[in-house]
Amino acid sequence: MSITRRQALASGAAAIAGSFVKPAIAAKEPILIGYLPALTGPSSSTGVGINRGIQLAVQEINAGGGIDGRQIELITRDTQSDPTKAVNGAAELTRGQKVSVVFGPVNSGESLAVVPLLARTNTPQVHPCWVDSLTDPKKYPMCFRNAPTNQQIGGAANRYVMDVLKRKKVAVISDTTGYGTASVNAYVPMLKAKGAEVVYQGNVDAANPDLKPELLRMQSAGAEAIMPWSVNAGFLSRIINTRGQMQWDVPIVGQTTLGSGQTQALLEKPEYWAKVYPNNFRPVCAGADGKLSDRTDAFVDRLKSAKIEMGDTLLWWIALGYDSPRMIAEAMKNVGTEPEQVVAYLNKLKEFPGVYGDISFTPDRHDGYPDDEVVMVEANSLKNGSFRLAPGYGS
Amino acid sequence: MVESIVLSGVAIGCIYALIAITYNVMFSASRVFSFTAGTLGMLGGVLGSLFIARMGMPVAAGFLLALAGGAVLGIVTEIVAVRPVLKSLDQHLYVLSTLALALMVQQFTAIEWSTEPQPFPRLFDIARGEFDQQFWLPMLACAVVIVGLELLYRHSLIGHAFLAIAEDSFAARALGLPERGLRMASFALAGVIGALAGFAGGEMLLAFFANAPMLTFYGFVPVALGGMGNNRGAVVAGLLLGLFQQSANFLVGGIFASVAVFTVFIIVLLARPEGLAGSALRRRV
Repeated sequence: MSITRRQALASGAAAIAGSFVKPAIAAKEPILIGYLPALTGPSSSTGVGINRGIQLAVQEINAGGGIDGRQIELITRDTQSDPTKAVNGAAELTRGQKVSVVFGPVNSGESLAVVPLLARTNTPQVHPCWVDSLTDPKKYPMCFRNAPTNQQIGGAANRYVMDVLKRKKVAVISDTTGYGTASVNAYVPMLKAKGAEVVYQGNVDAANPDLKPELLRMQSAGAEAIMPWSVNAGFLSRIINTRGQMQWDVPIVGQTTLGSGQTQALLEKPEYWAKVYPNNFRPVCAGADGKLSDRTDAFVDRLKSAKIEMGDTLLWWIALGYDSPRMIAEAMKNVGTEPEQVVAYLNKLKEFPGVYGDISFTPDRHDGYPDDEVVMVEANSLKNGSFRLAPGYGS
Repeated sequence: MVESIVLSGVAIGCIYALIAITYNVMFSASRVFSFTAGTLGMLGGVLGSLFIARMGMPVAAGFLLALAGGAVLGIVTEIVAVRPVLKSLDQHLYVLSTLALALMVQQFTAIEWSTEPQPFPRLFDIARGEFDQQFWLPMLACAVVIVGLELLYRHSLIGHAFLAIAEDSFAARALGLPERGLRMASFALAGVIGALAGFAGGEMLLAFFANAPMLTFYGFVPVALGGMGNNRGAVVAGLLLGLFQQSANFLVGGIFASVAVFTVFIIVLLARPEGLAGSALRRRV
């Protein structure tokens, strides 16, 4: 069968015309966002809380028409709190699924393994992990943190002890995990630089059932505040219980887990939770009058109407999860899904209005959380996942 | 301070001693060092909390069910991890098989129970004091086990049969003793003792899956110091370990306390490899 010149021209024109409609078809394809939460395993409580916010945000974005008509599709790989599985998940998301952006992992141990890997795949990444080295615009130019750094967390606690409580003699204690020892090593010099006298400094096995020796040592050294750095609820509750048994009226100021429901469940007496001040974040905390800000109040109403449980988790985890896809969606609405364009947009992001906090980045600083939003709260004011600001912050 | 060292030191020492006895009871019946001993202790605390605090059972019922759970795991250990390796005991395969079972139970507990420590209920509704129930309960449990084992081994037929198996299993079998049945009974008994250790120490250690490796390590120290298979040596060494550990906590504190414990452990073993109360085995050449 021979083909005439006219037929050849007609089929060529049809092929060209066909190629013009392709972008329209592509525009209907969903935007793939890789998501690496720890939904199971020993460090999953954070991931479970964050997941509630993420799912709600994606539902809302898609219900509102998505991003320029394209729906967001979360491709989730549960890291099971295991860095190895997080690495495998990241590799599959970028090479197999070819996602546009990755959010997570949500635990520092997993992010330490994943961040260098993603940096080699030309994939923008947003994570909420605190370990300082997990952002570096030179080494990891596509990686952004929409949460505070360890320096900011420790700095807020140190400021509260020194400037608000006016305590100069401080005991700093941690468990023997990498997080615990790294925190003590980082925060003790910060305290000394502020003029504090660190009268006790120790790393203790979290399985040690009796912490009375440590607290007696702190007391005899003249400690005026105890600063524990651990995510182990058993370890933290033993410190609080021992302080109560000793009837020692000293404030405990430190890690957010001091205010968790797990820590509360292990207290011998509810009143032992008084004068315990964990880290938290101003936008999701109630003022002295017990009221949340208007923005957070509206968010809590949305959570209630979506029947999202808040009592067994922390509000800042849900808020952080809620903000993350919205921030990514805003970037894509403005500049599309090309990695370089998304990164260029995030590099200039200024005060993205999150429920968890207003996030800003610059090309030289990929740590987006504002310093003054990291605060201390009263542990025993826990209600529906949020706390009241600790005394001294005003309204 | 001395009072505090003695109270918590003796209490935790009693828990270590009970775990050491758990090792010994299993060892005597099979010549196998089962590394499920610490897991049995952990399970005693977790099951106690599950039955009493979470399911709301009466303390007595929760206590008996926790001990029954320990007995079941003891029997499972014998069937799954010990019996298959007895034919080639000299290859030390039991290190792998019992450790594997212990890890499986530990991980299963972490997944199904919690990865966070959970509260263990107050067993008796009495006011807290210096000599609190969290201290005297492990001491009471240890005393009951010591007396109970003495009565069992010295004054009962089945106790004599246990001793016969421990002394020479071939001769005992030749005399018609049901070696396999007695071994299973020994592992069930060890399960009960291990679970009792965790249950009695629950208020100190909480219901926490990670207590398993801690008890496995610290429970093994009195076995090595007291002489393998020697219950009296295990009790004395367990109490000394608890007191020394607590003194080290007070005197040097932090991670150095663990370093001090294991330094003394190594020194004692260098000086007396057979343990403080053990006797050197003579090998015929």
